[in-house]
Amino acid sequence: MTDTIATDSPFTEDELRVLRSLAGMVIPPNEEYRVPGADDDLIFADVITTAQGNETAVRQALQLAITVEQELGATLSATNTHAYDRLEGRSELAPLVAVILQCYYRDDRVIVSLGMEARPPFPKGFQVEQGDWSMLEAVQQRGKIWRDV
Amino acid sequence: MTTELNFEPADVLIIGAGASGATVAWNLAETKMRIVCLEQGGWTNPAQYPTTGRDWESRAQSDFSINPNRRQQPGDYPVNDDDSPISVANFNGVGGGTVLYAGHYPRFHPSDFKVNTLDGVGDDWPIDYETLEPFYAENDRMTGVSGLAGDPAYPAKQSLMPPLPMGKSGTKIAEGFNQKGWHWWPSDSAIATQPYNGRDQCINLGACLHGCAQGAKASTDITYWPEAIRAGVELRTWCRVKEINVDDEGMANGVTYFDEEGVEQFQAAHVVIMACNGVGTPRILLNSTSDQFPDGLANTSGLVGKNLMLHPYASINGIFADELDGYRGPHDSIWSQEFYETAEERGFVRGFTYEFTRGRGVLATALTGVNSGRIPWGQGHHEAYRRLHNRIAGMVSICEDLPEEHNTVTLDPLLKDAHGIPAPKMTYTISENSQKMLDFSVERASEVLLAAGALDLIVESPIAVGGWHLMGTARMGTDPSQSVVNEWGRSHDVRNLFIVDGSIFVTSAGVNPTRTIQTLALYISDQIKKRLTNLFD
Repeated sequence: MTDTIATDSPFTEDELRVLRSLAGMVIPPNEEYRVPGADDDLIFADVITTAQGNETAVRQALQLAITVEQELGATLSATNTHAYDRLEGRSELAPLVAVILQCYYRDDRVIVSLGMEARPPFPKGFQVEQGDWSMLEAVQQRGKIWRDV
Repeated sequence: MTTELNFEPADVLIIGAGASGATVAWNLAETKMRIVCLEQGGWTNPAQYPTTGRDWESRAQSDFSINPNRRQQPGDYPVNDDDSPISVANFNGVGGGTVLYAGHYPRFHPSDFKVNTLDGVGDDWPIDYETLEPFYAENDRMTGVSGLAGDPAYPAKQSLMPPLPMGKSGTKIAEGFNQKGWHWWPSDSAIATQPYNGRDQCINLGACLHGCAQGAKASTDITYWPEAIRAGVELRTWCRVKEINVDDEGMANGVTYFDEEGVEQFQAAHVVIMACNGVGTPRILLNSTSDQFPDGLANTSGLVGKNLMLHPYASINGIFADELDGYRGPHDSIWSQEFYETAEERGFVRGFTYEFTRGRGVLATALTGVNSGRIPWGQGHHEAYRRLHNRIAGMVSICEDLPEEHNTVTLDPLLKDAHGIPAPKMTYTISENSQKMLDFSVERASEVLLAAGALDLIVESPIAVGGWHLMGTARMGTDPSQSVVNEWGRSHDVRNLFIVDGSIFVTSAGVNPTRTIQTLALYISDQIKKRLTNLFD
């Protein structure tokens, strides 16, 4: 998805560390579904690149997370329950969470785990069943409902 | 090869190459007049539509966003919509809004043209359904409409292609409507379900709102424009109009615009036709001030920019236990007009249409789930996500908005576009009548979804990003003190200036406007053709 490396990013090392921690907090890996977490190397590289498109809002979110981390006195991680309590659902983090979700849910491994083919919709398209139009019989029996003028 | 531009007076100059501009260009082409169309955006290459790539959902949030303030492409201009609970949605380029519309393609009803007579609100239109019916049929033929004849919510109309598939989602919602005993019917859609006029049929890409790479959806860049250009119409892209100029007699004599290099140009013309939508048209008119027209062109009535109507939408979706269509298939399938006409006991006048929404993509599901608290952070994320994946379906209600003069498009005192032209500002509030209609529509839709077996409901009312339909800001009428254009689209003040877009709507009806916008464009251009010898009398 991307060939950006962390050193190309405009974010500081501290911001990148917190960003990666947050990615892992939002979506950790899962063995049952055989999916990586959002802090996986490939996905995280995509997160860094994509975050640059909304740099100001993402940076503000990261600053909030850094402040929370300092207040907690412990690094953010998927095992830090206090961090979840302080950060999950905060509207200020929404732009950052949106970036994490964007990158996670276009990763081939995640898409395949959902039973989908890892491909764009075009040109192959998808099959959708026609349905049973005889369901309309009840509607037809009611007759005209438009208003005369 | 560079083509030398001809700035000699055009017989007809059209501003805007979207739904109405394309239609009027095609219809006038047979006159052999010299027709020039100026479009502020460019052509969109279908091979670059989002669905050709893996990141198609992400691009719907950026370069293919429906919001020009987010999209910020070279053809876009900013719109200040801070004073509206519903933000603007549009597309600036050849095809206009039809590039990003869903293809929902309902007609108005006969009653929609007689709102004041029937319900004592708004105003009646100066034309009626019967007058427009042959133009509806002609536009249907050019567009290629799929659907099913016999809808009891409409007078008889032909269907040119079979309806879009119901799929699992449509079947589920239809079961709910049948349990309630309420109307539903296959939607009329501007989406080809079989090869049509050189276009291929729908292959269920599931991303109609982000441009149809298959070419099945009838955007005017692939319907009207190719034929209009073959017939001799000149379409100039990347040309942003600054103002319409007038001569000493108060007649329009051309437009000033910025070309692709940002150079100011003047294109002379004998007739000017505006096709820039309900925000773009008043913007240009209000920017076209002169000694003769200090308050903006065609604005003697003071109504240019007033009576903005948006169609407040509510979104009501159910979460089901069974897997439905999800990301597969077009958004359109069925609609319901059970509550379209006025019924006093509901506490509001006029009504709305329910339009089925098939499902959502992987990212949209994740965003919906996380933002609504249904999908948590942490280990529970994956299981919670899978409870929503391909299991959301529902509908939107598209509510008739009545004209109110305090809902406006004005010129922002500070905001300007890339060429320094003052940008428009929308000021809009949802009326008490519209709010009651929204609330009612949410309650009834919830009943349908629960009857269909929904386990949980997701409601957004109004849809904050849903300002797709921009109407009423240069209304049509026979009284020059109460309208901007006459009953055939000509400005009351400037006899060689016409408007053919949604600005001229008198009322909004409870349906998507594009089919009626294009039908009106055919009707008005037909009137122009019939009156060529005395057009300015």
